[in-house]
Amino acid sequence: MSETADREIMISQVIDAPRELVFEAFTDVRHLSRWWGPDGFTTTTRAFEFRVGGEWDFMMHGPDGTHYPEWIVWREITPPERIVLLHGEFRDDPNAFDSAFTFTRVGDGTRIAMRTVFPTKELRDQAVERYRAIESGRQTLRSLADYVAEISNTYR
Amino acid sequence: MARAATTSDAFNAIAEPQRREILIRLRSGERAVGDLALELGMTQPQASKHLRVLREVGLVRVRGEGKLRLYDLDASGLLPVREWLGGFERFWKESFDRLDEYVRELSRTRQEDETHE
Repeated sequence: MSETADREIMISQVIDAPRELVFEAFTDVRHLSRWWGPDGFTTTTRAFEFRVGGEWDFMMHGPDGTHYPEWIVWREITPPERIVLLHGEFRDDPNAFDSAFTFTRVGDGTRIAMRTVFPTKELRDQAVERYRAIESGRQTLRSLADYVAEISNTYR
Repeated sequence: MARAATTSDAFNAIAEPQRREILIRLRSGERAVGDLALELGMTQPQASKHLRVLREVGLVRVRGEGKLRLYDLDASGLLPVREWLGGFERFWKESFDRLDEYVRELSRTRQEDETHE
């Protein structure tokens, strides 16, 4: 286990499109607004500037009509390989956290790896609560027995 | 009543490896504290202390009295952990699924445009 294993999240997925195109989909609000957020979510953008230090100030709307303020600042932009962004709810949000997206070629497709390291347990908990709220009502509770089996396998 | 930070929630409770071991043991059924202590090579007071933490955050429940107290798993206490994993990961998984669909559509549209030029 790495030092940050208990407060980081890694998610990776292969996208069936060339790397340049996948990267491009991160660079413009007209693209981002088409895919950002889970199924059924939409966004309304107040400000968008894709450059290091630039902001994306927007509102995310859930399928149940709930609005979630979102605020992003780009920390690092290396086309078409890597983007690091600071993700919070509003400008200077003390609970914002960094997410790094790495784009690698896999055949004709692209693997996106996202790594989020929460700097402290408190910030992790903050994000926990928020995303739990965002996803709540969308959870279908699997059998608890299955879940316990899963978690104990993880820790074996 | 003020409590130590380590007993505050399920996340803290399962951060401790021995408490995870206890939860795994309890999967197969309820146990007395003495049996758990023996199986895990700890003293009975140590096992009792861990069980108290697990009980306070709703991960185990107890029935019986005194020496006949039996501890059992209360997996519903793990729900916040599951929801946390589910919430954040699902947010991105679903976003990436939508991204996949979108860029494939974008790719098709552009190829068509090139053909028409």
